[in-house]
Amino acid sequence: MSFELPQEVEETRKRARDFALREFTKDLIDRYDETEEYPNEIRKKVFDSGFITIENPWNMLVAMEEFCRVDPGIGLSTLASVFGSEILLLYGTDEQKEKYLYPTLKGEKISAVAVTEPGAGSDVAGISSRLEKTDKGWILNGHKMFITNGTVADHYYLLARSAPPPSKEKRHHGLTLAIVERRWKGVNPVKLKGKLGMRATDTAEITFENVEVPNENIVGEEGKGFYIIMTFFNISRVYVAAQSVGTAQGILDLLLEYLSSKPSSFREMEYVQFALAEMSALIEAARNITYKAATKVFSFNPDPALTSMAKYYAAEIANQVANVAFKIVGMEASGTKLEKLYRDAKITEIWEGTSEIEKLVISRMILKRIQEAK
Amino acid sequence: MSSEEQKLLVSMIEQFAKTELENAAQKIEKEGISTDLRKRLAELGLLAATIPQSEGGSGIDRKSFSLILMTLAKYSASAAYFTYLQNTLVNELLFKSQNKKEEIAKIASGEATATLVHDLNLNFQHEIFVKGSDLYGSNNFVTLPDADIHLVLARSEGSSYLIHAKPASTGIRKPLGFRGLSFGNVNYKAEIGSDKIIFKDAENILQNHFFETGDQIAAIALGMSESAIEKAIEYSKERKAFESYLYEFQPISAALIDMKGRIEELKKALMLTESVQEKITLKLNSLETARLASRIALQIHGGYGYLEDLGVERYYRDSMHLTMLASNYVKEMKALSKDVIAPDAFKI
Ligand SMILES: Cc1cc2nc3c(=O)[nH]c(=O)nc-3n(C[C@H](O)[C@H](O)[C@H](O)COP(=O)(O)OP(=O)(O)OC[C@H]3O[C@@H](n4cnc5c(N)ncnc54)[C@H](O)[C@@H]3O)c2cc1C
Repeated sequence: MSFELPQEVEETRKRARDFALREFTKDLIDRYDETEEYPNEIRKKVFDSGFITIENPWNMLVAMEEFCRVDPGIGLSTLASVFGSEILLLYGTDEQKEKYLYPTLKGEKISAVAVTEPGAGSDVAGISSRLEKTDKGWILNGHKMFITNGTVADHYYLLARSAPPPSKEKRHHGLTLAIVERRWKGVNPVKLKGKLGMRATDTAEITFENVEVPNENIVGEEGKGFYIIMTFFNISRVYVAAQSVGTAQGILDLLLEYLSSKPSSFREMEYVQFALAEMSALIEAARNITYKAATKVFSFNPDPALTSMAKYYAAEIANQVANVAFKIVGMEASGTKLEKLYRDAKITEIWEGTSEIEKLVISRMILKRIQEAK
Repeated sequence: MSSEEQKLLVSMIEQFAKTELENAAQKIEKEGISTDLRKRLAELGLLAATIPQSEGGSGIDRKSFSLILMTLAKYSASAAYFTYLQNTLVNELLFKSQNKKEEIAKIASGEATATLVHDLNLNFQHEIFVKGSDLYGSNNFVTLPDADIHLVLARSEGSSYLIHAKPASTGIRKPLGFRGLSFGNVNYKAEIGSDKIIFKDAENILQNHFFETGDQIAAIALGMSESAIEKAIEYSKERKAFESYLYEFQPISAALIDMKGRIEELKKALMLTESVQEKITLKLNSLETARLASRIALQIHGGYGYLEDLGVERYYRDSMHLTMLASNYVKEMKALSKDVIAPDAFKI
């Protein structure tokens, strides 16, 4: 058993770290945090530097970690400009790939995933956007909420109900996934401002009013959208885990930087030393579980329980580490990057499935295994 | 003050906070404490609440004042901290010096705002010095740097002073929390006369004052905690997931009940604390509770909690900001353990 990543991936990690340190300057980080604009210029550089690649997903994973270590807002924004691509990779037709996936992977288009609604987030099957069949194709009506890249994406991978659920227990049946272009008639995205953190990410509320969706934009089988989205979450959650690991590591870096800039007597206090040791151990554990889950996902053998463990645990650790670092640095953290990372870290417990939902996935899987073993 | 009078006063403040602060809380965060609000706080006698009436204050006892701070914090943490800063950190210190009636009156009436510039909760000392008759140096972490009256902790060889000074320059930046209050840096470069010295041995006096008024910080933290958890309980009764109300899910109800119980216990303790040790412990526990309560409240609000519209994420920022402003873990642990364990406990 080896815990080493291949040399190519380690090289990408180093390149990603150098890139982030060079390009995510303090001025830019502060600017995007203040204005809540989308960092399009850096996104282009990220593409040109080859960090967005699906040939070897490990490269994206370590880039996510290293980018978020320097700035989670810009880091995630740029890498998530291809958000949802795995959906087309796994379920898209050749035409869909040609029209939407490849231009996105070349950096010519931006994608988004639109599942959450004002009335339903955790409860994916509870969404109420509707896709209705017509002679020519489909008509979409609905309302999506908190959609990352919502106002900058060219197209959304959108989940809507296309048939009533057959029974209360089968609410997740009858959902269909469609590709919807932002510039189509009836699509109205509105940027949401005032987030606690991750303010370089674009977040939108989007309404869809009698939007015509052609048949060829339906992804996978009609009525099977729930399974497609859950398969996707099993992949994307590993990247959120990497985001958390990067954020946590970034916080530890800042704490170490602070300690080394102060008289040694401060870092010689055992309460500081114990905190450092605990933080390092927790981050290492979060990284290992993330890589283990990624190993399964990237070898087409996903383990949803493990993926959810990684997402939940790494998010928990990012927030824990942020709290401890703040307590040690105290008021001197005010106005620094540490303060920003504390705000940024909180999102990891909410998006792509809240920590509570991850715990439900984990326990359901474990209980299922016990049943199967019987 | 009798317990009846105490109740009456607190219910009056509750009324004021409900009618004038609750709806304005978000506005206060965006635009700051307005002159009108400051005048209202003054009219209610809160800006010199614990100063004796004979000296131009309201003569409110400390326990009642803690209850008032808790009530204010439930609606606007910025307004509560402002009141604490004017009354406790400035007026009470001015009052200790006995000859600053004029300033106390100005602050009490809301005519002037005041701040205390110190470094006692920082890990390292700031560099504000007195040399001869010169005061110079700066501090980067000041609440209300643009206040009219500055009380400044300055050091000189072997001693420290609290000085009434005017800053040479100030800078304002957006703080993590309490965004209704300006925050930033100050720089001093001035000649000061002896009449500007409020008292000597200021470091010790200030440190003891912080310890002794730790219950007031606890009160603010508890008000914030209570408000965050009440908001979360309300939301759990409105929001549904998986066709059930959020409160129906065991982990959600358990977290809310646990927090509610913890807050109630601490509120009881607030009324009972007497010794400095108890006050420090209460402060530490209440600050931790505020951080936890804000995290739980934000989480229960899901995605909506992450956006400022619902006014929940601010508890998350405010609780950490209050911890940084009002607490220094090492000093507090040393103060607590020196009597209970040994004089040199918590050293290494
Ligand atoms: C900045 C940001 C970006 C986002 N980007 C996207 C995006 O690109 N695409 C997209 O589709 N969505 C996106 N989201 C939405 C995000 O995925 C949801 O906010 C999240 O899934 C939670 O849903 P909710 O906000 O509706 O909370 P709710 O589902 O209403 O949950 C509220 C609380 O109840 C808890 N809860 C729910 N059910 C249970 C249960 N059974 N047991 C115990 N606790 C429970 C939750 O964990 C949470 O704490 C984004 C959100 C944010 C804030």
